[in-house]
Amino acid sequence: MLARIIRHEWQMLKADAVLWVIVAIVGSAIAYGVWNGTRWVHFQEGAIEAARSEERVRFDRLTAQLEKVAAGERVSPFADPRSPSNLGSRLAAKVAVLPPAPLGALTVGQSDLLPSYVRVSTESREAVLASTEVESPLRLLTGRFDLAFVVVYLVPLLVLALAYSMVSGEKEQGTLSMVLAQPVSLGTLVAAKVVVRAAALLVIIVGLGLGTLLMTGVSLADAATRERLLWWVASVAAYMGLWFAIALVGVSLGRGSAATATLLAGLWLLLVVIVPSALTLGVQQLYPVPSRVALVQATRVASDEANAQGARLLAAYYEDHPELATGDAEQAMTDFNVVRLAVNDDIEKRVRPVVAQFDEQLSSQQALVERFRVLSPALVVYEALSDLSGSGQQRHRHFVSQVSGFHDEWRRFFTQKVVAKTPVADLSSLPTFTYSEEPSSALRARMMATLATLLVPAVLLGGLAFIRLRRYAIAG
Amino acid sequence: MIGTIARKELTELSRDGRFRLLAAVILVLAVASTAAGWLQFTAVSRQHAEAQRETREQWLGQQEKNPHSAAHYGVYAFKPASHLSIVDTGLDPYLGVAVWLEAHRQSEMKFRPAQDRTAIQRFGELNGAEVLLVLVPLFILLVTFPVFAGEREQGTLRQLMSLGVAPRLLVAGKALGTLAAVALVIVPVSALAAVAMAWASADSYLAADVSRTVALGATCLVYFLVVTGVGLAVSAWAPSSRVALVTLLGFWFATSLVAPRIATDVAGSLHPTPNAAEFQRALDADLSDPEEARQRLARLQAETLTKYNVTSLDALPVAFSGLSLQSGEDHGNEVFDRHFGRLHDQFSNQARVYQWAGLASPLLAARSLSMALAGTDFEQHRHFAKAAEAYRRDIQRTLNDDIARNQRAGQPYLAGTELWSRVPDFTYDAPSIGWVLGRQATALTVLAGWLTLAGALALLATRRLSATLG
Amino acid sequence: MLEARHLTKRYGTTTALEALTLTVSPGEVFCLLGANGAGKTTTINLFLNFVDPSEGQALVNGVDVTRAPLESKRHLAYIPETVMLYRNLTGLENLEYFAALAGSTDLSRGSLLKVLERVGLPADAADRRVGGYSKGMRQKVGIAIAVAKGARALLLDEPTSGLDPKASNEFSELLRQVSGDGVAVLMATHDLFRAKESGTRVGIMKRGRLVALHGTDEFSHADLERLYLEHMHD
Repeated sequence: MLARIIRHEWQMLKADAVLWVIVAIVGSAIAYGVWNGTRWVHFQEGAIEAARSEERVRFDRLTAQLEKVAAGERVSPFADPRSPSNLGSRLAAKVAVLPPAPLGALTVGQSDLLPSYVRVSTESREAVLASTEVESPLRLLTGRFDLAFVVVYLVPLLVLALAYSMVSGEKEQGTLSMVLAQPVSLGTLVAAKVVVRAAALLVIIVGLGLGTLLMTGVSLADAATRERLLWWVASVAAYMGLWFAIALVGVSLGRGSAATATLLAGLWLLLVVIVPSALTLGVQQLYPVPSRVALVQATRVASDEANAQGARLLAAYYEDHPELATGDAEQAMTDFNVVRLAVNDDIEKRVRPVVAQFDEQLSSQQALVERFRVLSPALVVYEALSDLSGSGQQRHRHFVSQVSGFHDEWRRFFTQKVVAKTPVADLSSLPTFTYSEEPSSALRARMMATLATLLVPAVLLGGLAFIRLRRYAIAG
Repeated sequence: MIGTIARKELTELSRDGRFRLLAAVILVLAVASTAAGWLQFTAVSRQHAEAQRETREQWLGQQEKNPHSAAHYGVYAFKPASHLSIVDTGLDPYLGVAVWLEAHRQSEMKFRPAQDRTAIQRFGELNGAEVLLVLVPLFILLVTFPVFAGEREQGTLRQLMSLGVAPRLLVAGKALGTLAAVALVIVPVSALAAVAMAWASADSYLAADVSRTVALGATCLVYFLVVTGVGLAVSAWAPSSRVALVTLLGFWFATSLVAPRIATDVAGSLHPTPNAAEFQRALDADLSDPEEARQRLARLQAETLTKYNVTSLDALPVAFSGLSLQSGEDHGNEVFDRHFGRLHDQFSNQARVYQWAGLASPLLAARSLSMALAGTDFEQHRHFAKAAEAYRRDIQRTLNDDIARNQRAGQPYLAGTELWSRVPDFTYDAPSIGWVLGRQATALTVLAGWLTLAGALALLATRRLSATLG
Repeated sequence: MLEARHLTKRYGTTTALEALTLTVSPGEVFCLLGANGAGKTTTINLFLNFVDPSEGQALVNGVDVTRAPLESKRHLAYIPETVMLYRNLTGLENLEYFAALAGSTDLSRGSLLKVLERVGLPADAADRRVGGYSKGMRQKVGIAIAVAKGARALLLDEPTSGLDPKASNEFSELLRQVSGDGVAVLMATHDLFRAKESGTRVGIMKRGRLVALHGTDEFSHADLERLYLEHMHD
């Protein structure tokens, strides 16, 4: 019986212009979204390549200079390629890269705002991490038309467009009572309608999405990529499921088509537009992050004070790092570079609490967002999609923590050399950075949580709707 | 007659539970977003004013040192928040707030507030402009879709027309009724926002902002009229209220969510910008070309010797180091003007494409105007950046001139408070409304075009009304 | 076949149907007469289980429709004022779908076409979309659904209103054939002439109550009209 109704519904849907309008809209939106995302990935790759080539050129020049100096050429102490201070702070600074993930083209996410490469030097961690990509502010404000945009905003609307008049439409055209005069329950009828619509939409979105993605040249050879794709499909399906459940609740109220459409459009607006932006507003009010101006000033004050007491700081510095003291204190005292190290160290110590305040407020905001994310399925799926594309906050945080580690290593390496006044002879002995991906178990756990957050309310709402449908006013 | 029709529309609406709910939601959001905007504005202006004062004190409080050391010490310039950023934060979160003004270097403004926010900000910021330009139009569309289509379904439209009501009056009355309903929501919020702004401007800035505020209000009104016209036209044209609703929701989605994205994509493709690494590499290549530096110094040396009619640098009545420093600055300035000029021109061009894209979506024209009037668009950011850079160049020239005059060869030269205070404090005057609107000519024209079009559509709708009664 | 026992439906304080007790046997055509709002459609909706009774029972073939809604509908066919069909499907496809829903096993094109032929649908119409059907053709498809389903009871809600006299006559003819096959027919109608012509019994309803019950052979058409008008006066 169910199968017969499903066949009939599919026939009806096929004959309806709405489906083909939807196919056309979704098709072009998906193609454009994936193409746009791919272009962005290419831009990122170009930027990374430019940064790397800058580094290569610099190192080639450095090698040449080292050879010249070894051959006896004289250079100014500020340009000495052997000086660990010069190398560590400028000449040999290394580019640490967060490469775009394999599915990066699917969601631009935060990757246009958070840098995908930084130049690591002995400067403060804040200075190292503060780099930004050149990007049109208008585009940053507007956000990009990527596949995630299609999924998060458009797909729910399509679900609602397909579902809002499932029952009221038949009631208005009079066929509902004809059908229900047969031995068929409204529940069965609605279930069949939902199955047909959900399957059609899922096939369109997943088929076109994956098809376009493969055309852009994404390789599926890697098992991790395949797993991510599966999670992507599952998240999209669960999101769609939740919206079908929401639509069903609207349908089960038994209002006319126009009234149901208004109600559902209102719910869409609430869940996709209003709740996320209100939440942004709320977390900013509850945990306001101070203006970076405060940090600028704190750094300024700290560096004034630190510079003023440069010599005294050096003594204190040696107290903190006795292993670095050479005993040749007289000479070290006068060493400009050592003083600078000590000063920088002191500045950072003074500024840390201010920086910590930023981090603390931001992580409080993040915690709050995570707690209230369930209020909007759009937020849940957006986070999941960016996570899967590696353009979300998680992967970037992972990158930043690795860069911090590398930065510490870099500094330790050069600090020792500066203090010990050991010249660097071999550039290949410098520390190097390679980004290592998160273990897939962490991703898996987050995805399970995402699916649960979407599916549990979907099942509850769907159940509620079917219970309500039993009391649906078929006549009158 | 028009009044009677408008009153009937309003009475009907005010008895509709959905209308009341929607109005309440918009009212709450408008109040909340304005309050948040006000808090944000007061906090930012306090912080920036304080920081600007501190940076000045630090500058003046420098010990005796060589002027060039002071030039490297530099000062910071902080972008002041405009009063209307209470209503529209515009691009501000995505543009830097501070710029360091030091020797040899023009810097890009740093610290984008958006980088200190959670990822969900990308769903859009809830500010006054968002409510006014995105949510209120949706409200208007939801109110207008059944205006004719619904009456036709109820059969009351035939009734009305049989009474001999002129279609034109009917459309005008319904438009007025809709706008009155919108006014019920907007007027209290606007009053509140005005009070908030008056409160926030303890000093004299309000006078300058009144014209901008009025212009912003007018922009919103025109945009509301456009949306009302479109809503009424679709309602008159649609065969059923269901079709009217779906069409208008589609219009809203396409113009408010899709069009801005496509417009910025197109703008980016038409006027591409280099990536940061490329930009930096090109800048560095032009800035520190050793061959160029050698030639420039040789030329400067020759010219200076001729000018003072001496044969050696030691015989000069001025310090050559000051001259050569300034020559480096001059060279740098030319390079900066070229590179930053090109980059910023691209951003300006992109903003212009965005204005033109208003042809496809009236929201873009309205949004562009709203950001411009609020002082949060790219042009005014650039205006500030230029002012800050001009100030940096003044500082450098003052300091280098001082070196040229006072430095003696072979002797250390230290300047003091007298020199530091000769560098004036940084002041910034936001551009006038005329300057702003001059750069929004496209958006203004496009919006006017839409207003005409919407009026024409509504008129066409009146013809159609009588034609579809049968 | 159709039986109402103290069937009552109240909406809030208004009573749409009060304690209706009625039996329609196989081969009988029972016509419910009455003004708008007298409770005729409510009675039919109660038999279809489209609305729940406040009191009493509606039985189809001895089965309580609220207890076994699907089982009871196996024996029922319903023809509303206008038989509404899927506009994008042909008459044959519509029939096939409804017959399939009804649980018919023989869904071959040949036998379905035979049914359509039996109810008098023009042969060329079967494969046309019903969007272009006249009302009379739609009513014929409605009967065809009942026939294909092998319904034992037929619920008709003003099936002839708005039909031209010829179509109306054809419809009555079909109805007689169907009831001759032993189907119980319950028809709500305003058409006193049709009621007299094709009905075996008439019941007059007023404000939810059955106020009179007569065999149609008891009187002439003029008598029936007088009786009806008498009851309509207070």
